[in-house]
Amino acid sequence: MGVLRMGHASLRVMDMDAALRHYEDVLGLKTVMKDKDGNVYLKCWDEWDKYSLILTPSDRAGLNHVAYKVEKEEDLDILQKRIEDYGIATEMLPEGSLPSTGRMLKFSLPSGHEMRLYATKEYVGTDVGTVNPDPWPDGLKGAGAHWLDHCLLMCELNPEKGINRVAENTKFMQEVLDFFLVEQVVVGPGGAMQAATWLARTSTPHDIAFVGGPRNGLHHIAFFLDSWDDILKAADVMGKHGTKIDVGPTRHGITRGATIYFFDPSGNRNETFAGLGYLAQPDRPVTTWTEDKLWNGIFYHTGEPVPSFTEVYT
Amino acid sequence: METIELALGDEMTSNPAPEPEKESHEVLLVQTGEVYACSENETLLAGMCRLGRRGIPVGCLGGGCGICKVKVVRGEVVSLGPISRAHVSKEEESEGYTLACRAAPKGAVTLEVVGKMQRSFFHGFTTQQDVLRTKKGGASWES
Repeated sequence: MGVLRMGHASLRVMDMDAALRHYEDVLGLKTVMKDKDGNVYLKCWDEWDKYSLILTPSDRAGLNHVAYKVEKEEDLDILQKRIEDYGIATEMLPEGSLPSTGRMLKFSLPSGHEMRLYATKEYVGTDVGTVNPDPWPDGLKGAGAHWLDHCLLMCELNPEKGINRVAENTKFMQEVLDFFLVEQVVVGPGGAMQAATWLARTSTPHDIAFVGGPRNGLHHIAFFLDSWDDILKAADVMGKHGTKIDVGPTRHGITRGATIYFFDPSGNRNETFAGLGYLAQPDRPVTTWTEDKLWNGIFYHTGEPVPSFTEVYT
Repeated sequence: METIELALGDEMTSNPAPEPEKESHEVLLVQTGEVYACSENETLLAGMCRLGRRGIPVGCLGGGCGICKVKVVRGEVVSLGPISRAHVSKEEESEGYTLACRAAPKGAVTLEVVGKMQRSFFHGFTTQQDVLRTKKGGASWES
């Protein structure tokens, strides 16, 4: 029972046409539907549910909400009670609040980010089907991203005021939603402060990550690619389209993933993330990165700070 | 067949129309006295990057992250795209605030850097010597 994986992200964009060119032509998602409010729903070719990305027209960039899929409808009732017993208010949105989607359990993480859980979303199938499938479909655009893989949320961290939303979110995810801690960055005297965490429910190194910063926000949403070769090709695609690349291609120490960070036309950071790194399991010992090796964890090859990576987010 | 050959011939001989030369304008940064050239079809931030020094905070280049916030204190700029209301309110915009990644100069422009950019400029790499040196070659309208 419980959470299966990241289900979708709802992002605000300031220029829908430019956003669609980016997510379709650079990342390779396909538009599956639009609603009367102008929201556009997209999916990756290797996903089987109806959509994994909602783009909302807005006067600003950033995250509306992030949603995770749970296995069974009754999980929503069980988790609602657990979240409320933990002291966090919830709301059960009725079926159809989002198109092609069942009821959704809506609540805020201790950091304030809106999270939703759902069990039901319309099944449409992958682009290669389930019977004697090809390894990939014809006609993929751009990077041909397989699936929405994870997100990283920036959470307020202010030691002088005793605020550490990273640690609070991590505790909540572990104790209430049964995520397991995979990697962490610890800082301060004796490494007493959890400044960043990577948590999973699947067997990949992370399904969600939290990093401390001056204010809450969205650091990035990440799309999965197979290999380092696919990362190189994705960077070629970004060069061709004039996409603003933040960092990479390179490799993380944390999660061991191969990566490129780049921005959508409204400034929301995306990542293409390749390689499964290692088998993440609840009983796998937690990997810890210390303050002096933090940047080796983030960008393993150089180990050097990239200010935009920590200061720029929506 | 003939039409195809003609079409190919046209393709071979026709040169792409040259990009019209856009006028270049001087941009003055109030706090440091630095001046740079910026054309009407490039962003204030792109021109600023040609100053070639560290500490110019290039963020998302999409008007979303707000790191390149500036105030236009003199001169006119033209918008090259939407800017996030999370970083520049309507009221601020009417007072001259914008994001340097989304605005191009329409003439000589004087800018104040604010927010993150200010921090990079003043806690970063700008020294008094830099300011004195660049002021010698200050903007023409200042002399």
